[in-house]
Amino acid sequence: MEFAIADTCFLIDWSLWRRRDTLFKIFKTVFVPETVLNEIVSENTIVWIADAIAEGKLSLFTETLDIVNEARRIVEKTRVTPGIRGVDLPEAICLVIGLKRKYIVLTENRGVLMSVDLLDELKEVVVWRALEVIKEAYRRRLFSEENPLSIFREYELDTHHRFPISDLERVIYELKRKA
Amino acid sequence: MNLKEKLEKWRKLEEEARKMRESEADWEFIRKQRPRVRAALEYYIVTGDIRTSAKIASMNIEEFRILLRKAKIPVVV
Repeated sequence: MEFAIADTCFLIDWSLWRRRDTLFKIFKTVFVPETVLNEIVSENTIVWIADAIAEGKLSLFTETLDIVNEARRIVEKTRVTPGIRGVDLPEAICLVIGLKRKYIVLTENRGVLMSVDLLDELKEVVVWRALEVIKEAYRRRLFSEENPLSIFREYELDTHHRFPISDLERVIYELKRKA
Repeated sequence: MNLKEKLEKWRKLEEEARKMRESEADWEFIRKQRPRVRAALEYYIVTGDIRTSAKIASMNIEEFRILLRKAKIPVVV
């Protein structure tokens, strides 16, 4: 669990959380594909990313032609497979890198989650949302709060993100059971 | 879980998310937007597909995410 690769949707939400640097206590390096970096436009997000790159916590990932070609194939496959929300190239690049390098894919894109769940060739890819990242941080006792729910609520407040009710309840149950 | 059960699981999650987006959205804000942006926000509420919505709005994905916050439409994932 040393390396992760983050997509655009994950970074633009996560960067708004007051405890966003928690990410760097979980992973040795979080990679950001150049395609993803090119989509970041807000000062808040780009400054956070630039600072983290300077400190060696984030690292740029330059996609090779074979990764891009493989990602394009994944994009097409998600778009012709019934029941899956299609993914675009930046997310597909993260999926391909996650598969080839065994990096955890950080995403808030439902198409990515569906693809990993429904496409056999992607079933080995490990995908985490903010939900799983915060869960892991809590499990490692990186927060002083005893009640994990307060941390998830804080994230929702800062980012205007919502965790699906059933997923959040399951994670809270698991964390309290292990505490 | 077989494929049919997985698809049903995702259908239920999508429906739960759609209801959250619909109920929390600031509809007054949405109605005040120019047609292209309004259509994109309404499309997002129904589908949750941020990339296609951003394309409809002719916006970058992060700009569209900022707009979603202004419209009080949550991203449910």
